[in-house]
This record gives sequence, C-alpha cells and structure tokens, in this order.
Amino acid sequence: MRLGDDPEVEKFRADLNTFLDEHLPSAEEATERSTSSAHMPEWTRRWQRTMFDHGWLLPGQPTEYGGRNATLPQVLAHAEELSRRRVYHSFNPQGIGIIAASILSFGTEDQKKKWALPLLRAEITGALGMSEPGAGSDLAGLRTRAVLDGDVFVVNGQKVWTSGAHHADVILTFVRTDPDAPKHKGISVLLIPTDTPGVTRRPFPNMTQPDDVDFNEVFFDNARVPAENLLGEPNKGWAVAGGSLGHERTMLWVSFAERLDDLVRDSPSDGEWYATLQMDLQALRLLGYQQLAGALHGTSNQAEVSVLKLFGSEAVQRGSLHALEEHGEGSLVHPAATAPYTHMMPDTFIAGWFERYARSFPGTIAGGTSEIHRNIIAERILGLPR
Amino acid sequence: VEFEFDEDQLLLKQAVRETLVRTQGLPEDQLWATYRELGWLEATPVELAIVLEELGYVADPTPFLASATWFAPLAGRLPEGPGTGVFDGTGRYVLDADRAAEVALLTDAGVRVVPGGELATERIGTFDHRLHIAHVTADDLVRGVPELALMGLAVSTVGACRKILDLVVGHVKQRHQFGVPIGSFQAVKHKAADMYVAIERARTLAYYSALTIAEDDPRRTRAAHMAKAAAGECQRVVFANGFQLFGAMGFTWENELQIYLKRVIAGDLLLGTASQHRKAILSDGGTAQADGKTPAEVTA
Repeated sequence: MRLGDDPEVEKFRADLNTFLDEHLPSAEEATERSTSSAHMPEWTRRWQRTMFDHGWLLPGQPTEYGGRNATLPQVLAHAEELSRRRVYHSFNPQGIGIIAASILSFGTEDQKKKWALPLLRAEITGALGMSEPGAGSDLAGLRTRAVLDGDVFVVNGQKVWTSGAHHADVILTFVRTDPDAPKHKGISVLLIPTDTPGVTRRPFPNMTQPDDVDFNEVFFDNARVPAENLLGEPNKGWAVAGGSLGHERTMLWVSFAERLDDLVRDSPSDGEWYATLQMDLQALRLLGYQQLAGALHGTSNQAEVSVLKLFGSEAVQRGSLHALEEHGEGSLVHPAATAPYTHMMPDTFIAGWFERYARSFPGTIAGGTSEIHRNIIAERILGLPR
Repeated sequence: VEFEFDEDQLLLKQAVRETLVRTQGLPEDQLWATYRELGWLEATPVELAIVLEELGYVADPTPFLASATWFAPLAGRLPEGPGTGVFDGTGRYVLDADRAAEVALLTDAGVRVVPGGELATERIGTFDHRLHIAHVTADDLVRGVPELALMGLAVSTVGACRKILDLVVGHVKQRHQFGVPIGSFQAVKHKAADMYVAIERARTLAYYSALTIAEDDPRRTRAAHMAKAAAGECQRVVFANGFQLFGAMGFTWENELQIYLKRVIAGDLLLGTASQHRKAILSDGGTAQADGKTPAEVTA
C-alpha cells in the first residue's frame, strides 16, 4: 500500500498527455455536434483514427488494433486521463469498448478484419442489441429468434433501447438460437448490418427533450444474416455477454468518478452534503484502484464490480439531487449551462440542474439496475440464498 | 496510488485474526499482555489500522485503542502501561482515562504526561457498558486532535460494523419464515447489500487516512476527517439495518449483537460525529497545514 505512483504508469500518462497536447482537435475543428452515440461527424472520425494510428484508442490491444499492449494499470491511467481532460476517445463508445472489443476477444481473423478494424478506424459505427421489450433485467429471457437456413440465419423479433442504432452500420445482436435449451444456453451473437432487408429502426427521444434521440426500437422481420456473421460459438452467446461487458464494467466507475468530479467543480456549497460528495469521490477512486489490483492478481470477486457500479451511480444521483436543491427555483431554468463548455465532451455540460439530476437515472438503471446489483452483492458476496 | 495490502500486511491480518479467536474471553490484563508481547502497540499506521480493525471486530475490552492512538501521538512515545490522551481542550469524555497508568495532556504549554493516579478522573456510566469513559480535571487544556486518534476510532468502528454485518448474514441465512430463509427476500438482501457498500466505503477511507499518516502526506488532516465522517455515516446504515434485520432477537441482552451496536454508535459520538467532521472537511477545504503535522482541529 502506498500513495506514490508507479513510474511506468506515470511515463505512460506523460506520453498520452504529450500526444493529446499535440493532436487534440481544436474547438474550431469541432464544427458539427454528434447527435447520438453512433453518429460520428467527419471531425470525430478523424480524431478516432488519429488515436488509432498512434496506439491510443484501445491501449490494452496490440498495435494492429489501435493499442500498445498496455498493462491494466496503464489502461486505467488512460481512462482516468481522458476523463480528467474531459475527452472522448470515441464518439461511438459502445462501438469501440463493447462491439470491437468483443470481436477481438471472440471473433475469427476474418471478422476482426471485416468488422473490428473498420469500427476501430471509425469507418463504420456500431450499436449493441441486447435488451428487448420483455427482456431487461432478465436479459437471458430474450426472445428474438434466429433460425439457420442453409448458410443464413433468419432473424425475427425486436430489440429496444438500442442506443445509436439509427446511425449505426452494424448491430451486435443477441438472439435465441436454441429455444429448447435452458435460457442462458440457447443464445448466440450475430453481427447484423443495419442495411439488411427486414431490419427496421425506429429512433425515439428520451425524456429530456424531443430532439435528444439516441434510443431505438429495432425490428427484425425475416432479416437474412450470413452465417459467417455469427460471433463466437453457437449457443455460447452468454459468454460473449459476460466477456465483452466484463471488461467495460471494470472501468465503468471512472465515468461515475468523472460525474462526481463535475459536481464538485460545478456546485460548490457549504452544505454538509458537499463534504459527503467529496468523500464519495475519494472512496470511489480508492475502491476502483483496489479492484484493479485484485483484477491484476486474480484475487477479485467479479461481483465487486457491482459495488462500484451501485455506489458510483447512486453517489452521482445523491449529489445531483443536492445540487438541484441547492440552486432552488433556479434549477427549473432550461436550457441552462451549469458547467464550462468542453467541445470534446459537450453532452451533459450544457444542461440545467434539473436535467442533470434527471440524467443521473440512466446511471442507476442501465447496465443492471441498482436493485439487480444489490441482489448480486447479497448473493455473490454475502452468500445469501437466491 | 497502490491501494492493496502487501503480503506482510495480509499475513499480519491473518495472524491478528487467529490470535483474537484464540484469546477470546480471556481477562483484560491477559489480553493486554498478549497484545504487548506481539508488538501490536509498536505497529506503524497502516499495520496499526489492520490491528485496530480486527480489535473493533471483537469489541476489544482493553485500553489498546487509547494507548496506541490517544496517548502515543501526543506523548511521542508508547505508554509503559495503559495510556490515554486529553486533547479536546475540555478533558471531558476521555477514553480509558479512569484506568490509564499514564495520561498525556495537551496544554497551552505543550504536552504534559501525568501518572493516571495523580489526576482527578471521574468515570461516566455509559450505555455501552463495556466502554471506559471518564472526565479529567486539569488546567490549561487546549484542543488539537491527532489524526491517528481519528483514524483509530474510524477503523475500529469499521471493524465493529463488519462484525454486525457478519452476525446479520448468519442470522438471515438460518432464520426461516414462510418456509424459506428470510435472507432470500429482496427487502432483506437490499438492506444487507447497503451495509456492505457502506462498510467498503468507510474502510477504504480509513486505510487511506492511515496511509497518509504513514507517509506524512499533506492530505493527512483532510483524510482523517473523511475517515471519521465515513465511519460515522457507515455506522448509521449498519446500526439501523443490522438491528432491524435481526428482529426481536437483536433487542435481547443475551445476543451479542448489542455489544457491537453500542460500540459503533460510541465510535461515532467520540471525537466528533460524522456531521462535525463533514463541517471540518468543508472549512479545511482540503488544504494541508504548513508542516503537515499539526493535529487536526475539530470544530466542536
């Protein structure tokens, strides 16, 4: 246990900062705003490509996939540094962090060339098709069917909450391929191009305003998908879900730490809640480092990730509510700017306190609701019966 | 920041746990002798935190906490026998002052160490009946709470909170109602999960405080306030959820739960509640004292 930093990590951090100082797009370049999590204006594609070419996009990957074989602490330093400087490494985060990462973990060499590389180079964008109207918390209950017919899968069913689908070129889609197997054992994963006949996307706005459109319903009506688009083994899709999302989850706390840091910066107060907020931020970081050390040495319980997700998202929500109350009736004003504008991460900064509080709820709902994470902690850490 | 125990620290933790299982129920003087013999009093801050967390877990009846974290940082040495310190400027509610062989007094002329027998002390009856608390009468007392004392109470409280959670988990697994263990109900699970998260948060801040003291880091004052405030916030959740989940059993004298319930609230009340330390964090603003060694000031 020590406070000092690892020189190898600090060297890595310094290199990253040198790169950012040199290559970060200026506010003038950032002309067009990204309107969804898969909408990439030209300048954002150039930026992601620059990161890819310099090995800073997914630093944990080998050089040919936009990385530099970085160690886990270095990967964390990368996430922290981008967060500290309020920079998105990609304007299609799920395309990089989940879809390309899954293909690199589970895909064939051909699939890596055909799908992962273009995603990483920002030539195409991706969306993640997991949730369905009847399968949210009970994700394994998904019912979208895929039936093999010669060398194509015929897909029928519906996804929902598919962020950015209307701008995405490909959807990583979880489908049921064996309806007779136990529910976790009959799921497969298909890469479905969005221009496939029979795929219909219906984007819909979230509650903040009618022109904030990221959510989609996606309908599959006899969509014919080449069998070669199967990612991983048939009926082993649940492992892909665990593998791809697992990595993402290990670093997920960084985004909550960033939100807490935003609140500390944007709503100074002499109320006691402001001290609690700073304690939450400090504790979240320390728990994150602790978990990273556990992951490095193979001693961590995967369920500990639930502690960080639950704690981080709820701390952000509590802090946001306090800030909302602190600003009283002024919190009603919309639109309102409550944070300094950052062109590399413009989303939530140009929102009033009411909207910022509202925007804390996706944090406690998406990626497993707080209730699901409490169950996981109780069952897999404390050993309470199911 | 490297925030995990090294091998030696893990071994120490294990050794302390084993010792405390072995010595369970021994008279206080024998426990005290054992701790001294094992050199626990000499432990440096992070190792001391490990020892104190485990002592909190067994609601240790000895004057170890006061000797190691109230006397030592004030006197600048370890006590010969049991010791304590008076550093709140009033001499009121001093841990173990009634049974300390040596008492370090923080006065406007500096620290004065006095044999316990020569001081006017008055033990106070407390709801936590195993706790020793006394008022001390002395002149020229001034306030200056050592960070080590805040960290020590914080980490002991975390240890006692952990014990409550373990007792509760054992209870809800074994207690059946409606034909199933009550631990299978989500209402119960969620309360237990909240206890776990609160403990993890408080523990991590307690060890961070120990680490900043060990490394004489400029953030040590702020970290000590955070540790004490977090322990207080933690015990609120753990006390309420733990008491509730135990049902009527927890309200009995026979059940050991009561010992820990009382201890965790005492841990919050002594040396300032969570609320007082949150205020201290705000007024301190996170800025370090010039030499980084000045005792933390707590606005009473």
